[in-house]
Amino acid sequence: MKAYEWMVKCTPQTEWIEKKGILLWLAFFFIELGAGAYLVGALFKSTAAMMAGWLFCGVLGGGLHLLYLGRPSRFYRMFARPQTSWISRGMTFVTLFLLLGFLDIILRWTSYETVILSLATMFLAFLVVIYGGFAMCCITGIPLWNTALIPILYVVSGLWGGVGVTLAFAIAQGDEQIMSGAERWTDLFLIGFVLLLITYLISLRYGSRAAKMSVQEIIRGSGKRVFWILIVLIGLGVPIVMASFHTASIPATLLYFTIACELAGDLGMRYVILKYGFYNPLIPSSI
Amino acid sequence: MTRWGMVINLNKCIGCYACMLACKQEHFLPPGIFWGRVVVGEQGKFPAVRKLTYPVLCNHCEEAPCVDVCPTGASTKRADGVVVIDYDKCVGCRYCVMACPYQQRTFYSNEKREYFPGQGFTELEIIGKELYPLQRGTVVKCNFCKERLDSGQRRKLEPGKDREATPACVNACPAKARFFGDINDPTSEVSKLIAEKKATPLGPEFGTSPSVFYVMR
Repeated sequence: MKAYEWMVKCTPQTEWIEKKGILLWLAFFFIELGAGAYLVGALFKSTAAMMAGWLFCGVLGGGLHLLYLGRPSRFYRMFARPQTSWISRGMTFVTLFLLLGFLDIILRWTSYETVILSLATMFLAFLVVIYGGFAMCCITGIPLWNTALIPILYVVSGLWGGVGVTLAFAIAQGDEQIMSGAERWTDLFLIGFVLLLITYLISLRYGSRAAKMSVQEIIRGSGKRVFWILIVLIGLGVPIVMASFHTASIPATLLYFTIACELAGDLGMRYVILKYGFYNPLIPSSI
Repeated sequence: MTRWGMVINLNKCIGCYACMLACKQEHFLPPGIFWGRVVVGEQGKFPAVRKLTYPVLCNHCEEAPCVDVCPTGASTKRADGVVVIDYDKCVGCRYCVMACPYQQRTFYSNEKREYFPGQGFTELEIIGKELYPLQRGTVVKCNFCKERLDSGQRRKLEPGKDREATPACVNACPAKARFFGDINDPTSEVSKLIAEKKATPLGPEFGTSPSVFYVMR
């Protein structure tokens, strides 16, 4: 974008995707994937998935988020405004989730799990999955984000990824009960995700100039390769084809490949949503 | 209660960028950082084209979204309506940069840049680092020259009338297109301009209730 086009044409956001913004993109992905894996793992009683989820969320997601900050040593200040700030709420949810989740995993490992702690941690995991979507949807300046569908889309993709991680561990451990249950959940989340994505993109076409430009860029513009190849073909196409077969009849390698494709599609979806978030022009113009 | 605001008369603005440069100089802003800008657009089709120049700056909104989203409380709204940033509290998450629908906040990155690369810092840049140090890794923006406002009021000067208590961009305008004052005072010049000239803010649909108004062409 040229200097004289800034806020005269629809202007893309850059802070949360360009340069160090890449770290935030990955941070949101790992935080939500991790919390989703923990939640689904807890429901299926897969301690391995829970541990992986905890590590994704705390170490990868949290670490990347801290690296993104301009002044990471001041991170403790981010708990100060939970009454109005979703980032502040998210920090609180993630910290509580990591602390209680660690305790819950230890207790489960040693067969001393408590129902109250497990439920509380699962609820916190859900809040961690959803807070990123709310943090984005409250930004009124970017029509692509300012929709109620964003939190729902992020929850579905976070939980779908969580099912994938749980399934991956179940395959490795040869746990057919979890594999069978996770397979059904995968199919449900796949359908839900497809319907949500289509509804999301169609609804934006009736929005403001910036919303239409966002959709146009994603589907036909510079984002089309990521959208059609990574999200549609790889992220959705491969799982749809695999869904027509029973999990037990598919070789483990192909199942792992399918899970990797789902996660790649999720990552691609988050990328295009961040990359093609446009602000409406500041001034009335025919440009 | 005082609410500082600004009125910009677009019929008088000549797009000279003096306001932008005055702000740069007043706050010793580094390369790439602008607290006020002049946005230039076009309206119509050739040969009936009209050039639009809009000086834009932080609107110091009544319902500032940047204040709500700040997780550390670094962004706050003073009692007189000026939205300020406490650089010692800012963690550089840039959530406020995203939240501002007018895009009037800038992240001061950790890149060390000088106005004349390879030639060292100018005297202005050297003095600026002592007199008006900005913290790298934090978000910066227009503060309605709060230092001038505060020191002027301490000396019983009137912002908007007395130059020493008035923002630099208002003083610098050669066309006298910018006015500053208390928009809660119906007898102030800005309030009269808003009422008589039907001045409106930019982007009213965002619902932020800005304190900067424009007299449209």
